[in-house]
Amino acid sequence: MSIDNEHKEGAEVLFMGNEAIARGALEAGVRVAAGYPGTPSSEIIETLSRSAKEGSLYVEWSTNEKVAMEVAAAASFAGLRSMCVMKQNGVNVASDFLLHLTGSGTRGGMILVTCDDPGALSSVNEGESRHFARLMEIPLLEPADFQEAKEMTRWAFTLSEEIRNIVMVRSVTRMSHASGNVVLGPLPPAGGTAEFLCDGPISDPEQGPIISAPVAEKHRLQQDKVRKAVSLFEKSLFNTYTGPKKPELLVITSSACRLYTREAVSMLAAEDRVGILKLGTTWPIPPALVKRYLTATEKILIVEEVLPFLEDQVKILAAEQVRETGIKTFFGKNDGTLPTTGELNPDLVAEAIGRILGIEPKTIPAAYGEKLRMLAGLIPRREQTFCPGCPHRASYWAIREALQRDGRGGFVCGDIGCYAMACLFPAAGFYTCKTLHAMGSGIGLASGFGKLGSFGLEQPVIAVCGDSTFYHAAIPALINAIHQDANVIFIALDNSGTAMTGFQSHPGIDINAMGNASPMVDIAALCKAMGAPVVVEDPFALKETRETLNSLMEGGGGLKVLILKQSCALSPEKKGKKRYLMQVDELLCKGDACGCNRLCTRIFRCPGLLWDRNKGKAQIDEVICAGCGVCAGICPAEAIRCEEAPVS
Amino acid sequence: MELGKVMQQVKERDAAPAEKGEGLGGQKELEEMVLKAGLCTGCGACVNICPYQASYRDKTVTLHSCDLTRGRCYDFCPRTPADLGALQRKLYDESDITPELGAMRGFFITRATDTAIRRQSQHGGTVTALITLALREGLIDAAVLAGEGEGLLPQAVTVSDPETAGRLGKSRFVVSPTVAEFNRAIRTECRQIGVVATPCQALALAKMRTQSVTATEGGIEKLQLVIGLFCGWALSWRDLSTVLKEKMDLASITGMDIPPSRYHTLEVYTRGETIRISLDEINLCVRESCHSCGDMTAEFSDLSVGSARLPEGWETARQWNQVIVRTERGLDLLELARRRGILEFKEVPGGNLEKLKAASLNKKRVAATRPSVGNGSGDSYRQAG
Repeated sequence: MSIDNEHKEGAEVLFMGNEAIARGALEAGVRVAAGYPGTPSSEIIETLSRSAKEGSLYVEWSTNEKVAMEVAAAASFAGLRSMCVMKQNGVNVASDFLLHLTGSGTRGGMILVTCDDPGALSSVNEGESRHFARLMEIPLLEPADFQEAKEMTRWAFTLSEEIRNIVMVRSVTRMSHASGNVVLGPLPPAGGTAEFLCDGPISDPEQGPIISAPVAEKHRLQQDKVRKAVSLFEKSLFNTYTGPKKPELLVITSSACRLYTREAVSMLAAEDRVGILKLGTTWPIPPALVKRYLTATEKILIVEEVLPFLEDQVKILAAEQVRETGIKTFFGKNDGTLPTTGELNPDLVAEAIGRILGIEPKTIPAAYGEKLRMLAGLIPRREQTFCPGCPHRASYWAIREALQRDGRGGFVCGDIGCYAMACLFPAAGFYTCKTLHAMGSGIGLASGFGKLGSFGLEQPVIAVCGDSTFYHAAIPALINAIHQDANVIFIALDNSGTAMTGFQSHPGIDINAMGNASPMVDIAALCKAMGAPVVVEDPFALKETRETLNSLMEGGGGLKVLILKQSCALSPEKKGKKRYLMQVDELLCKGDACGCNRLCTRIFRCPGLLWDRNKGKAQIDEVICAGCGVCAGICPAEAIRCEEAPVS
Repeated sequence: MELGKVMQQVKERDAAPAEKGEGLGGQKELEEMVLKAGLCTGCGACVNICPYQASYRDKTVTLHSCDLTRGRCYDFCPRTPADLGALQRKLYDESDITPELGAMRGFFITRATDTAIRRQSQHGGTVTALITLALREGLIDAAVLAGEGEGLLPQAVTVSDPETAGRLGKSRFVVSPTVAEFNRAIRTECRQIGVVATPCQALALAKMRTQSVTATEGGIEKLQLVIGLFCGWALSWRDLSTVLKEKMDLASITGMDIPPSRYHTLEVYTRGETIRISLDEINLCVRESCHSCGDMTAEFSDLSVGSARLPEGWETARQWNQVIVRTERGLDLLELARRRGILEFKEVPGGNLEKLKAASLNKKRVAATRPSVGNGSGDSYRQAG
């Protein structure tokens, strides 16, 4: 959806949280937006890229979050409004630059939008970016509904210019991916000239060079800025209170948890007993405002995701002001009223409030519960697995078979991407990844494992890495492995796109985020230039891939690169097109007899293969099958046949 | 040598598993009892019958897990429990069965008449002469052999052409997955197959022959001839390569042999010279599984061939073979070879059979008493060509 042309000022439209954030940035006149894809943040840059226009908005998918932040900062230094967008762990990647940026300050309004993933619905961590605001001493804003997501984003640019520093806006999955009505504001006219003024003295924030030194001076200045932000927060309309003047229980909350709290209070019909102080400005919390509400109550529950962040701040504040506010009882994460892991939801919050106030939460009627259980039984069981036609299924098949043949206990260091599923789900059939950490950590760990030979480690070490991850963070570790002569086989699982997050462009693709032609950076050429021997295989050629891998394992030490190149089944050039029409010859299919034991549906497990229990034969699900033809190569009876599909 | 006692031990070892439920198992049991226990011989009996097991280098590996509780992999494996006595009685004339050497109809000293064959083969070239004869006479139309591979690693091959078979007569010191190749060959057009097999491979084939046709999916009836090779042990490819790599260029090796035990060496023939390596070093390379093997003479074959021992000394003996004929079919082939003048025969010196029996019994004793800690005695009755 385009969020600029179709919708005019004053219109009320249904926006996903991420679209609301993008619209807020447009209304603020953002000129440069850079990010790295990562659920649940990706739609912000994607939405903005559709509004990108020469001279009015530049959008890019950067190679990683640190680079994205640097690209956005450059625009700010040149006087333009800019933003960088990432998921929670992206902030870790960007944090080194962020630490220095917060010291140097900014010029044009610059915001960092981070979308956290409590409960790790699409992550392999539950990291929280909020703590970076405290660590880096920059203001933090958290929208609690969709309108606010837009307004807050817009205001964040104003605040940034006010304090001449970057401002952080934090969303969570349920804000970013849920939708709500948003009333649109005006879009500013296009324009704005970029110029980096840098000939002034170092002490001149408007015309001098932008650096974080002299540190003592800059740090003091930065803290002044934070104090200024706090004074603005005291009056901010993003901090709201609903409830009685003297509530029995005060809930202090933010973000999506405000919605859970509102629903929980309503479920308990406790509107006249519970007050909800929703903070939109969550670091630093405005002390005068919070003190006012603390004074009016005895019991305080802090509702937030994931770790106690508001809770710590509120408690410090209460301790500092205990003479004026009196002694309070606090509930939250630290006392175990609410969990310190995972997402919250209205039930958890209602249970917590109910316990504090002695209200029995309403349970669902027995008949309804029964119906629910019955319906749940009807839902087909779907396992998390590779898509039909996914090159990773073929790659891992070859890797697994090569490792098993080699027989020395070799293993794969995994990395971030769809291919990480080989770490988590034996259901994918060929459980080979044995480590999984940050972007690029696969080759980093492998580089370390590959040096343990002198301590007796004889296991072959393989690192896998997707193409986007390769550019993101694998290169320094790869260089290390080459330079240290680590015994590692580095496999680039090149499916020509940032497939997991929705096919965003990356440096290996000849098109950029704005749809323009863009120079490509070739993985093979890069690896060769770094001095590594490089072999390229098509993972759909299972036997060749396996044999290549085995010969790489047998060959001498050092780092070797194997590029397994085959486009993602969902890539634009492949999606919906079948290369082969697949068929099972039932006369040849051995089914579950000795000699096969359902290799295709039990181990290979492509969703395009079905097991017909009645016939005891495998079948192709023509609707699901992507026609890649790989399963024909694994059938021991040669019962799976492929025939070139007619070109439509 | 207390024959009775050893035979009792052997009998106990072979019989005990039967009481635990002989022949019941699938991949899981195969993994636990054979592969993980270090008993796998690499014969390949469990390979090429399903996609779950494969041969790689000189090993058998599990690629994916099979959850069937019964499988041919387990049934065919020469190292899963089986009543070997019963198997012998099923396949051989009971009156021919000896406790030391299995079924025996005759014992001979032979060699290929053709000196070219002898030059290209190991020792007297008897196996090569017999297999080429069988192919030429149409007794078999395909022979499964351990052919030249890469480096020290032989490759199991199926050949129909006697000339080609004639060139593959060297002893291999590393196993090849011969039975895996046989499993593949029975699904091709070959109709009558002969196999040159080590004792473990011959046992696997025997186990296959005694399964019902449905269990084997048919094809085993194509097995028309098994020529067994005397075998003291086989060496691990990886370990042997490591030892030899330090001493020579592996590509220059033209052959290997083990002279009688008093020499205590492995001779490696390279293009330039003969390199002698102490068996102390080589014994460390012996496959774990060989230490628990009690069959030196390939008892489950039609006839078995090994290197000869002669009073004239090693230089003469290395030109000859000892042959144990076990079946009618084996005897027919040997007699045919005599009639066609393919083989020369030499009178068996007095005491030869007794020495062979003693050596064989010694292997049984070592295997029965030290099932997994064998000393790799490296007895010189090794497989021969």
